[in-house]
Amino acid sequence: MSNGGARIEIAGVGKRFGDLQVFKEIVLDIGEREIVSIVGPSGCGKTTLLRCIDGLVQPTQGEIRIEGTRVTEPPRGVAVVFQHFGLFPWKTVYENVAYGLRLAKASKEQIAESVPRHIELVGLKGFEKAYPYQLSGGMQQRTGLARALATDPHVLLMDEPFAAIDAQTREILQFELLRIWESRPMSMVFVTHSIEEAVLMGDRVVVLRGRPSSIHQIIETGLPRPRTRDVFSSPRFNEVREQVWSLLMHEAEQAERELQEVR
Amino acid sequence: MSAVTPDITLARPLGLSDRTQRTLLRIATGVILLFLWEVLVRWLAPAFVARPVTVARALPHVLANHVPPGTPTFWGSAEATAVAALEGLAIGVVAGVLVGLTMGRLRLADRLLRFYVNAFFAMPIIAMVPVMTLWFGFSNSVRLAIVSLGAFLPICLNVYDGTRSLPAHYVEVAKSYRARWWNEWFGIALPASLPYVLAGFRLAVGRVLVGATVAEYVVSLKGLGYYIVYDGRTFHQPEMMVAVLFLAVMGVLINAAADLATRRLLPWYRRSE
Amino acid sequence: MSAVQATEPKPRLIVPRSVQGAGISVLGLVAGAAVWQLIGAHTQKSSFATFTATISALWGMTKSGQLTDALESSLELFGTGLAIAMVLGFVIGLLLARVRTLRIGLEPYIVMLYATPMFALIPFILSLFGFEFRAKVIVVTMFGIWPILINTMEGARSVNLDLLEVARSYRSSEPKLWRHVIIPYTLPYTMTGVRQGIARSLIGMLASEYLLAATGLGNLILTYTNQFDTAHVLAAVLVITLLATILMSIGRAIENYFARWKAGV
Repeated sequence: MSNGGARIEIAGVGKRFGDLQVFKEIVLDIGEREIVSIVGPSGCGKTTLLRCIDGLVQPTQGEIRIEGTRVTEPPRGVAVVFQHFGLFPWKTVYENVAYGLRLAKASKEQIAESVPRHIELVGLKGFEKAYPYQLSGGMQQRTGLARALATDPHVLLMDEPFAAIDAQTREILQFELLRIWESRPMSMVFVTHSIEEAVLMGDRVVVLRGRPSSIHQIIETGLPRPRTRDVFSSPRFNEVREQVWSLLMHEAEQAERELQEVR
Repeated sequence: MSAVTPDITLARPLGLSDRTQRTLLRIATGVILLFLWEVLVRWLAPAFVARPVTVARALPHVLANHVPPGTPTFWGSAEATAVAALEGLAIGVVAGVLVGLTMGRLRLADRLLRFYVNAFFAMPIIAMVPVMTLWFGFSNSVRLAIVSLGAFLPICLNVYDGTRSLPAHYVEVAKSYRARWWNEWFGIALPASLPYVLAGFRLAVGRVLVGATVAEYVVSLKGLGYYIVYDGRTFHQPEMMVAVLFLAVMGVLINAAADLATRRLLPWYRRSE
Repeated sequence: MSAVQATEPKPRLIVPRSVQGAGISVLGLVAGAAVWQLIGAHTQKSSFATFTATISALWGMTKSGQLTDALESSLELFGTGLAIAMVLGFVIGLLLARVRTLRIGLEPYIVMLYATPMFALIPFILSLFGFEFRAKVIVVTMFGIWPILINTMEGARSVNLDLLEVARSYRSSEPKLWRHVIIPYTLPYTMTGVRQGIARSLIGMLASEYLLAATGLGNLILTYTNQFDTAHVLAAVLVITLLATILMSIGRAIENYFARWKAGV
């Protein structure tokens, strides 16, 4: 049913804001059916990198191609799920999910077919007429996810999607997302500051480090799919997690030391 | 194709500072507006209608009080209106604060008066002007009454709102220090409702100016309302416009003053939001 | 050893607080009417009619159709002026919100017009457009448009940047952006402005009936004042007050309806 993923090529990409070089020399290829997690300390520009992939922000150096075409503005077939949910408060759940389709000039039949299906997919059946203010954070993000999926994207960009959600709901949503991805694998870039989440979700974990930040290492998680909660207790999981942690810890300690010197 | 930007900017920014650019742009717009006014009136309107050139010519005479004898002078009228406005504001604010506080703190007063205050607030007070001429005759009392009423209503309602939304723990603290009722009312409720007073003050000024000018017209009282209608009817439009501009400037200055007062006197209000 | 005897509570009439409250309000109204009657009884008819005289004058005007005619005329004026003010205020407000250069340039002049008593401009309007309906509608529009325009402008300007970014990520065109994001977001702000505009337009309606061709409710007031007939004048004032209260309630209801998707309305 789903068209599968698209190749994302990130070639020597860097971004500068004024005098501040946020990240540089990012080289990364993302395959058609894989989840790549990007993890790094605050301020390393991982969110900005994601926005470069979607064409919301233009890189200062290098270029990004999706399926061979250069990205200059948000391309068709790419959908984003935002940390802040980004739901329109004046639209019901149904209308929010239908938003992408309406913009793409989908027919009434298409919308009537796709929207309820996706609302059910994220477990929000029965809430079609609810407004965002009536929903919990987890439910709002489910709506955001349904909205993104309804446009049948080849690429799904997740911008710290569960950062604003409580821990228990977060875990539920992580596995739901994995389950959904299993049924329609696509290219997914998952940006997070949680090491556990990065390892849980990803086939590969990209560790950003340095100031300006760059790819310090890309680690294959080597964990089996489909992922279940057993994965948390697997030795490989802990191994990867420790590896990423120590890579980032060094950076954090460095930052702390610099702060001390300033004082 | 996406065309979305935070907003559409037409002109390209020059190398000047942001603030200077804005000011220049505003002055330029003002000049364009004046030009349009001048041209449109010249082409399409009768000769006596005011336009920037004729207003500019009349301005020095008006400001020097050079008018035909028997006609109202500008400064005399301006003073009369200003005095009446200030008197009405003073009465209205004091009465409004007292009644608003009372209604906010005493449920009995609230229940008794609420209907009347709301009804008078909704009503256009200029409906009362003709009837007041029957009560007070064609005198300054009509203007004073209307202006005081105009200032009283928004202040009263706003102070009422402010007093009612007083967080209960403020009063608890006062009670724990055995405060008397006047401490509660004037030491706590009043300062807490000051932001609401200032918000009501803007409304009050608007109502005061309308009330004063209409009263002056109906009662033929010396004042800017009368001055404007008189000069308008005697085809002295440029002179009339000077008064209109004066009122405009007054309105702007008072609003700016209220803004400044809110920022200066109530920094604590902002922070607690 | 003495025991404190518990005394039997005296039987009391339990009145729920809400009924108490409503009761006091009604009492207040009745007291007001009584005071009115008293003052009227002790002054001349030409100064202050009694409450009962006012009510019977009101009834008389209704029966003769005079009141209905006046109401119709005034409401037509008010309605037309307010409708134009709403449309123009909304459209111009949106335009100014989106086109930065226009907004920065015009903002001080709009604020100035908002702060000016529009009454002062009536003679100017008269010279350009005459005495009749057209001129009066323009006056009503000029009274009511400023809060609508300014509130719309401020609202549309404050659209959450996050939401604009979401629209961009879905490749929204400019018209779609207006339809799905900017306009729905702005409507609650506009309705707050409309509520204020209703009050101002009412004043404009009366002012234009005073200064330009006397029609409608303003005409009733002026005519009966000239005849020293306070019973009819007060009746007209009563009608205006009632009308105003109803319109303001409608205004608040509309405002709340459009703001219902805001957190927890």
